[in-house]
Amino acid sequence: MLNKKPVKLLALPALLWMGALFVLPMLMIAVLSFLKRGTYGQVVYEFTLNNYIRIFDPLYGQIFWDTLVVAVLTTVFSILCGYPLAYYISRLEKSTQQIWLLLVMIPFWINFLVRSYAWVIILRSQGVINTFLQSLGIISEPLPLLYNSGSVLLGMVYTLMPFMVLPIYVSLEQMDRRKLEAAYDLGATPWKAFWHVTLPMTKTGVVTGSILVFVSSIGMFVVPDVMGGAKSALIGNVIQNQFLSARDWPFGSALSIVLMLLSMLLILLYFRATKASETKEGSA
Amino acid sequence: MKTLRRNALSGYSWLMLVFLYLPILILVLYSFNDSRINATWTGFTWKWYVSLFENRQVMQALMNSMTIGVISSVIATVLGTAAALAVKHYSIRWSNIFNGLMYLPIVIPEIMMGLAMLVLFSQVQMELGKVTLILAHVTFSMPYVMVIISGRLADMGKELEEASQDLGATPWETLRYVTLPLIMPGIIAGFLMAFTLSLDDFIISFFVAGPNSTTLPLYIYGLVKRGVSPEVNALSTLLIVSTVLLVVVAEIFRRKDSKNNQSIF
Amino acid sequence: MKRFKSLMIGALTAVLAVTAVGCSSSSEQEQQVLNIYSWADNFDQDVIKDFEQKFNVKVNYDVYGSNEEMLAKVQAGASGYDLIQPSDYMVGTMIQLGLLEELNKANIPNMGNIVSTFKTPPYDKENKYSLVYTWGITGIAYNKKYVKETPTSWNDLWNEAYKGRVIMLNDPREVMGMALIKNGFSNSTTNTKELEKSFADLKKVVPNVVAFDTDNIKQKMIAEEAWIGTVWSGDAAFIHAQNPDVEYVIPKEGATIWADTLAIPKGAKNKEMAEKFINYLMDPEVSVKNYESIGYSNPNEKAYPLHSEEYRSNKMVFLDTADIARAEWLVDVGETLQQYDRYWTEMKSGR
Repeated sequence: MLNKKPVKLLALPALLWMGALFVLPMLMIAVLSFLKRGTYGQVVYEFTLNNYIRIFDPLYGQIFWDTLVVAVLTTVFSILCGYPLAYYISRLEKSTQQIWLLLVMIPFWINFLVRSYAWVIILRSQGVINTFLQSLGIISEPLPLLYNSGSVLLGMVYTLMPFMVLPIYVSLEQMDRRKLEAAYDLGATPWKAFWHVTLPMTKTGVVTGSILVFVSSIGMFVVPDVMGGAKSALIGNVIQNQFLSARDWPFGSALSIVLMLLSMLLILLYFRATKASETKEGSA
Repeated sequence: MKTLRRNALSGYSWLMLVFLYLPILILVLYSFNDSRINATWTGFTWKWYVSLFENRQVMQALMNSMTIGVISSVIATVLGTAAALAVKHYSIRWSNIFNGLMYLPIVIPEIMMGLAMLVLFSQVQMELGKVTLILAHVTFSMPYVMVIISGRLADMGKELEEASQDLGATPWETLRYVTLPLIMPGIIAGFLMAFTLSLDDFIISFFVAGPNSTTLPLYIYGLVKRGVSPEVNALSTLLIVSTVLLVVVAEIFRRKDSKNNQSIF
Repeated sequence: MKRFKSLMIGALTAVLAVTAVGCSSSSEQEQQVLNIYSWADNFDQDVIKDFEQKFNVKVNYDVYGSNEEMLAKVQAGASGYDLIQPSDYMVGTMIQLGLLEELNKANIPNMGNIVSTFKTPPYDKENKYSLVYTWGITGIAYNKKYVKETPTSWNDLWNEAYKGRVIMLNDPREVMGMALIKNGFSNSTTNTKELEKSFADLKKVVPNVVAFDTDNIKQKMIAEEAWIGTVWSGDAAFIHAQNPDVEYVIPKEGATIWADTLAIPKGAKNKEMAEKFINYLMDPEVSVKNYESIGYSNPNEKAYPLHSEEYRSNKMVFLDTADIARAEWLVDVGETLQQYDRYWTEMKSGR
């Protein structure tokens, strides 16, 4: 019909860019993961599978599992926090939408560490919340709000919020509202209309947002350190340690490769699952 | 009933905004704290704002961050948008491969990517500095742009584009006058994301920065050992206040000028 | 949409213009440049300014947050720095990897001013490659409001009364080193049995720990989130100034001593200027000004009499010689480092 070729070529610059600046370094990492660590932490050019064998230590399996649990929880809470917000923004007048979008993003222009330390000031035992509650006489002893898994989760959700809000907003913004009205005309309750019309139509946004949040939280290590008191070992921390204290670049690379493969696999499964639910809904 | 629901929704959204701004409020407050260290409140002072402007390192770092942020996010947005548009026309298999490739940089641990880039740049004997920073920032932020815009494109019907072509528009005209305006919210969201990522990145930046190209996150990260100076809080406060003011002023002008047809800002 | 576009174009032009101005003004000067790569706030600003004027040189001062990050950049070979500040064990590692230039002592006559303890550190026995710049000892800081009995031993961190109130450095070598010293071994042991025993002991202290932290240990002690913990002497001095209830002791079993040094990476473009800067920093009068500003212990013996009474009487800055004698340096443990890391991960994962 129409010659789409020139449009197809538009991907070329991005492809070349990623090829030179990403694929090439990636290949180096892959090679590195099969090399040895020298006595003083230098890389020795000798082939070995040892780095991958070491990962089968149950210790690392457990850490991978713990990391996944945290990532899933973070994703779920991010959807709960982010979806209604994105929904609200998308219902506003066009120009007000832009304002809100900016308002949501601006906190993230402030340095990440500075923001995290502010949370510490709020949550610590002599912090804003505990002082406030104590002065009201609601509690007598400060609550342990910080340095536990709850505060890690809070920090993660806070940090990754934009990754959820933006894609969902983009998706909601172009939703065809006539379908929603049709559902109402057919007597659907608001909840049913949301569940059967709005949510499926914004699935792309939720899927994109979930992947971005999930994947980012898997590699996270600063939040567990600052908000969790560095008392838990997530895979991000373990990888970080290979570079910053154990000086074992090959093992760090092997861990990274495994983490990447695992994430890609999970993304794939997630895509499959959401696709499957779509066909089921279509046939129902 | 309907208004109740609407109020609940807007109440929840405002609550979320409070959640997002709560730590910001604290850091603004502590920018007036007399203590050198963010530990306890010791008294009110303006001195950090005064010393901020005398601190040439902070100002230089801010300048570097802004330059790198704007340039890299513009490049990332242009490349990412172009790629997303093209990939839409690929067969399912190729678009899956392409998308998979695009997810990889998001999946890989940052420290790994930073190190790999450091090794790459030193292999090709590129001097570390602002240029390498921009190259790196484009590389890690472009996938985010593409993912967001691809999502937008996937949800978009083909009707309008087809209508435009039926009316005799060339593919480029269709792209320029139909598709691009339609995906503009996606492009803006992508740009915001890229800019935010660039402004806040420190792990990858650390490895690809050279002498005299310290960005704000790198500067702050370096301060951590001795305690982040309240000057950084003062700077953050000024950044927030000026951005919010800019947004508000732009909105006021837009309202005055409301005869203008739909505008983005 | 037009508005958005013109806004972006405007912002872009402005940024490019500023960058262009910035670049042109720096290329105009035919001045020598000294690129320093160091820890943050490690020099008094005025000391650097004076040096720039005296030697007609422009000093670029960039910072890193850990030795390993600095090592990665120097190893990649593209760093472009003339002067770096590796810590003790890292000097040893970098010498082994051939990453440091030998210092030309003819250019650093002030080198002799250094106190004799630092003339023969184990990682660089003749000061061939490095010179101690700041140093301290990792001891116990405690808040006497909560810790009634003065701690004397590392064992006091294990005291159940301090459950959830003990803070430790977020550093495998420091914390394992502490446990090793507590059990009567060397802090840099490569003996598996000794490591195993100390690690089993260390695991028992974990329930007491509120957080592992290196960067914000000061805030946590000042804000009384933590009552007792492993703290560097220089940090302890800082904490004490902000919260006088916090005191500092070096336990009877001994402790780990550390130093950040001055060294020159291989291939530095301006080695001579870096040596001039080292010499300048070792000048007694300059060092008095410098160290009283940054608040760390001065290793310059010639400068001692010139220091203010306040600085000299501070026991966390001017450490007791008997304590220094009991302290031990960390040295590179080679392949055993993997074992340290394995234990560290195991402890963190709570199993």
